[in-house]
Amino acid sequence: MTPLVGSPPIIEDSELAATSARRGTAQAVFRLIRGSRPGLAGLFILTLFGLAAIAAPVLAPYDPKDQVAAPFSSPGGDHLLGTNDIGQDILSELIFGARISLGVALLVATLATILAGIVGLIAGYFHGWVASGVMRFVDVVLVLPFLPLMLVVATVFGPGVRTQILVIGLLLWARPARVVRAATLAVRTAGHIEAAVWMGATAPYILRRHVLPRITPVIIAEFVRAANIAILIEAALAFLGLGDPVAKSWGTMLHYAQARAAFLTGAWLYWVLPAGLCITAVVLGFALLGFALEQGSDPRLRKRGWLGTA
Amino acid sequence: MVTGRYVAGRVAQYALVLLLALILNFIIPRVAPGDPLEGIVGESGALLPVEEQRAIITRLGLDQPLTVQFGRYARGLIQGDLGYSYNKGQPVREVIGDRLPFTLLLLGPAAVLSAVLGVMLGMRAAWRRGSATDIGLLGLVLGLDALPPFFLGTMLLVGFAVRLDLFPVVSSIPVGIGLLSLEGLGELVHRLALPFATLTLSGLGPYFLLTRSSMLGTLGEDHVLMARAKGCPAKQVVYRHGLRPALLPVATLFGLSMGFILGGSVVVETVFSYPGLGRLTYDAVLARDFPMLQGVFLVFTIAVIGANLLADLTHPLLDPRVRSAR
Repeated sequence: MTPLVGSPPIIEDSELAATSARRGTAQAVFRLIRGSRPGLAGLFILTLFGLAAIAAPVLAPYDPKDQVAAPFSSPGGDHLLGTNDIGQDILSELIFGARISLGVALLVATLATILAGIVGLIAGYFHGWVASGVMRFVDVVLVLPFLPLMLVVATVFGPGVRTQILVIGLLLWARPARVVRAATLAVRTAGHIEAAVWMGATAPYILRRHVLPRITPVIIAEFVRAANIAILIEAALAFLGLGDPVAKSWGTMLHYAQARAAFLTGAWLYWVLPAGLCITAVVLGFALLGFALEQGSDPRLRKRGWLGTA
Repeated sequence: MVTGRYVAGRVAQYALVLLLALILNFIIPRVAPGDPLEGIVGESGALLPVEEQRAIITRLGLDQPLTVQFGRYARGLIQGDLGYSYNKGQPVREVIGDRLPFTLLLLGPAAVLSAVLGVMLGMRAAWRRGSATDIGLLGLVLGLDALPPFFLGTMLLVGFAVRLDLFPVVSSIPVGIGLLSLEGLGELVHRLALPFATLTLSGLGPYFLLTRSSMLGTLGEDHVLMARAKGCPAKQVVYRHGLRPALLPVATLFGLSMGFILGGSVVVETVFSYPGLGRLTYDAVLARDFPMLQGVFLVFTIAVIGANLLADLTHPLLDPRVRSAR
């Protein structure tokens, strides 16, 4: 976070983009979130799960890799959510699963956003056949059916967290790249940037100094959206059996529950429901955060009131 | 004709998509770690006797240069050869041909219904922005959107099939089902209901959100104000002046989200043991049956391209500017 000199700026949300160019963008974005109830709720949910993931060894009653009781035990005194098909404590699995699910989502979103940022900035700032060629390629990638392609790649390269991060990250950048390019195009014609060009500033300097700060809110919003999609895709891949059997995510837990037909017995209540609800809650957290950012940065959607910035 | 040129441009782009899919299908197994035979024939390939492996390598031309291999591969595809599934003991094309009708039967109606429902609800929410309806729908859709499709499916299965016993737990379709009789049709609907509901519910979120925000944009424009000022009935303002221009991005979404709906069908068909392409994909993943996975990927790509073309064709109908633009 950039240190703030002097008194904190009084930011009208309508001035978010302009202000963020000069003052800390992080603060501006945080103010936007703080001003919207959905945004606050999202932030709260994600903080909760983030803390659980960090404190997993302290919170979890057992090591999720240890067999601690008879398989398929119902919830009881020692095991609040019972045990799975090989006698591991489900509650501990759930808490450690937050590390894998959140970790994959954040790494993938980071990878995709960096790629998208580079491609979008270059394609938006420069004219000519390289830029249009890149965008044509982006459009082509956008049409490919993601999940089936990921299944082909992930199956060929073998299951595991590393494959997942690589595969999802390499396919998720296309949509954010479009958005970043559009934002760059809009900023490109601003007076002070034209002036910088005429004063002989180099392209990397202008991109870093003038363009990037202005479009950072857009990039942050796209990061949140990418994390939202990534966690769903990771869950789907893991559910289909492409997760890491040693480092189980929530999706991997659900894969084993499905494979052992937990939905037919009473086991769904403590084996399927908690993991599914965890995924849902985290996705909802990212979605609420994204919603708040989108509402705040699109002037057409901005309106004071319950959903807007109060 | 201008529309013709517009469509030709789109078709050229989709040809590139198809080409990229073919290249990916060709390259991925050949750059994979481990035995290349494994990548092309499937995991069972590595278990065959050595002479047989050699025979397959020669027959498939895997000892030839890559350019020659790609030529063979492309020629085979043109003749409809998608490879051979050693796991199923059948050509990939035959297996996919058997399963495709089931997926189309489930997916087509679900894709259309989720789009229609999403647009209707989104329109209502935008028109009554900030009302209890709007906020309620928004919360509902955000929640629905956050549910992974396989989790939603499992919960519906537990609730309606296992607990209430209203629907079958396994949605397989009996071979001899008489689709011409009323009874047979009823049975089909009965078996399709749960996977259909899952796909529809998990697909409508993006349509709702996009229609809502797109319509909030058009409703704020001058022509809508003008229409209201001259006394147009509210219904006409909503549909003709608000919704119609707002539908342009929605039509694009229909094409783009087809990929996600197909992805959803893989997990949903798995949950309900429905005998379509999705379940086939799951089985292929478990068996490491690469030729089958690649065949399915290609078919899905073609389906997505079809949906995108359909969406493109509606553009000139919705927006006169596309018709007259050069």
